[in-house]
Amino acid sequence: MSDTMQETSAVLEARKAYNETLRIKADQTRATWFPITLMILLMALPLLQFTGNYNYMLHMVLLTASYVAMASSWNILGGFAGYISLGHNVFFCIGGYFAGMLVARYGWSGIALAPLAGLVAALFGYAIGLITLRVRGPSFIISSIALVMIARLLFDHWKFVGGANGVTLPPTELSVQWAKLPYYYAMLFIAAFTVWCSYKIKHSKFGLGLRAISKDEIKAEAAGIDTRFYKVTAFALSAFFVGMTGAVWGEYLTYIRPSIFLVILIAAYMVLMCILGGKGTIAGPVIGAILLTAFNEFFVATMGASELNILGTGVIMAVCLMFFPHGIVGTLARKGKLPKILNWD
Amino acid sequence: MLEVKNLCKYFGGIRAVDDCSFKVDKGSITALIGPNGAGKTTAFNCISRTAQPTSGEVWLDGQRIDQLRPNKITMMGLSRTFQISRNLSEMTVLENMIVQAKVEGFRGLFRPAISPEERDKAMEILDFLGITRIAYEDGSNLSYGQKKLMDFGALLMSDPKIILLDEPAGGVNMSLLEEIMTHIRRLNERGLTVLIVEHNMDLVMRLSHRVVVMAQGTVICEGSPEVVRNDPAVLEAYLGMPEDAA
Repeated sequence: MSDTMQETSAVLEARKAYNETLRIKADQTRATWFPITLMILLMALPLLQFTGNYNYMLHMVLLTASYVAMASSWNILGGFAGYISLGHNVFFCIGGYFAGMLVARYGWSGIALAPLAGLVAALFGYAIGLITLRVRGPSFIISSIALVMIARLLFDHWKFVGGANGVTLPPTELSVQWAKLPYYYAMLFIAAFTVWCSYKIKHSKFGLGLRAISKDEIKAEAAGIDTRFYKVTAFALSAFFVGMTGAVWGEYLTYIRPSIFLVILIAAYMVLMCILGGKGTIAGPVIGAILLTAFNEFFVATMGASELNILGTGVIMAVCLMFFPHGIVGTLARKGKLPKILNWD
Repeated sequence: MLEVKNLCKYFGGIRAVDDCSFKVDKGSITALIGPNGAGKTTAFNCISRTAQPTSGEVWLDGQRIDQLRPNKITMMGLSRTFQISRNLSEMTVLENMIVQAKVEGFRGLFRPAISPEERDKAMEILDFLGITRIAYEDGSNLSYGQKKLMDFGALLMSDPKIILLDEPAGGVNMSLLEEIMTHIRRLNERGLTVLIVEHNMDLVMRLSHRVVVMAQGTVICEGSPEVVRNDPAVLEAYLGMPEDAA
């Protein structure tokens, strides 16, 4: 009799301990100081320009920030809703061209136009989403690749926007030392804004619905979620941020051309960054973007800008995914080993 | 309350549901029974619009619902569970429940996912079902019975007027079966209309006020459990033709 009593209490004890682990897992406290400090440091980085020329460093941060924005944006559709799009660079292109044409013809500022460019991209996203989001899985991926091909054909032959040669934009009048700064801050702001929005979205009703859709669309629909509307809105939102990035990126490069925006590599980068960092998490795309840009740069520096550097990056990616099958942030979170500073979810 | 008129669902040449008509009265527990392949689940899917009916009409409270999308139907107060429970993995039981709560308007989309009221309501339902301790468990990390209970709880989150239960007792043990029956009965006493598809005859006969028997896609008999139990057509459908008639 006393034996069974002991056993019962042991079971209760184990149960208690288990509930405790669940509680820790559901811990909602955040180390918000970390992203804020990071942001302040990056904002202060251009001060280095007073002591010498750090344009390369600024360019790298700017490039990374653009990828952070794009990957986080892709994550809204691909990570939360589970619709893998390989055609998101089309919205990058739409944003870039919309702002770029206004810059080239009317001399407006691409940075100021960025929100508007985002809206235009979102409108296109909404319309395209209405058509392509009717299918899911491989069919959706293929339809998104088709979108890139259609857009490429269109922009290559559209005389009004310069066809395959594209359009040259007026360069900035700032000195070399300070020329990157407006774009640097704009891109940094867009990246931070995108990450913040993706956090807000994940924790909203909308985000909960998207996560339900990614797990089981039929169940989500039976649960009362307007799946079609949710998906299309997610598509439009994720096009919005990519469009904004495109607007700033085009003006930063001072030329827009289909071969900058409409190459499958850019779309693939968004996907790879999210998968590397952990899709469906907030910090994942950020970590993925930073790592992938770093790998790329490292292999370009050591192997030269040939095909070989892509191979190097690919091998590193494959090895990473062997150890982190759900992405770095995703896998660590599952194992309960995610450092608190990276728990942005 | 719920009326199905001449519902048909064909898969190519197979007539899964063929000219099926029945009614569910307000405040009743109605059971839909029939041998395997009779078209019960398909009829269910057509009512909740998980599947699109080939023809026929479905009316809920005087409104035709067979043209609506499933989420609209749920919002109108008809919630369903699935035969094989479809719970959402990588989401806690609490989230699984709250996903079913109503969202009002466009602004409602961007408010926090779990409001304190929703959390309280979900916890109250979990308490009613006696499973509060699994609230923070992953939705896929449950036993079969717990999944059934969670499904059951989740559909209460949307404040339904009528619930459609697809085999609520399928694959659960006897004690849980009794528990589920008690829950259904208690909810029914609070005024909830229930339509059940079930194979467990014991449950059906004890629980339901009316029984609708389907065979080969159509309704062959309906009435109180006693009437149905003694109906020759039902016995024939379940047991085959009597020897002397063959």
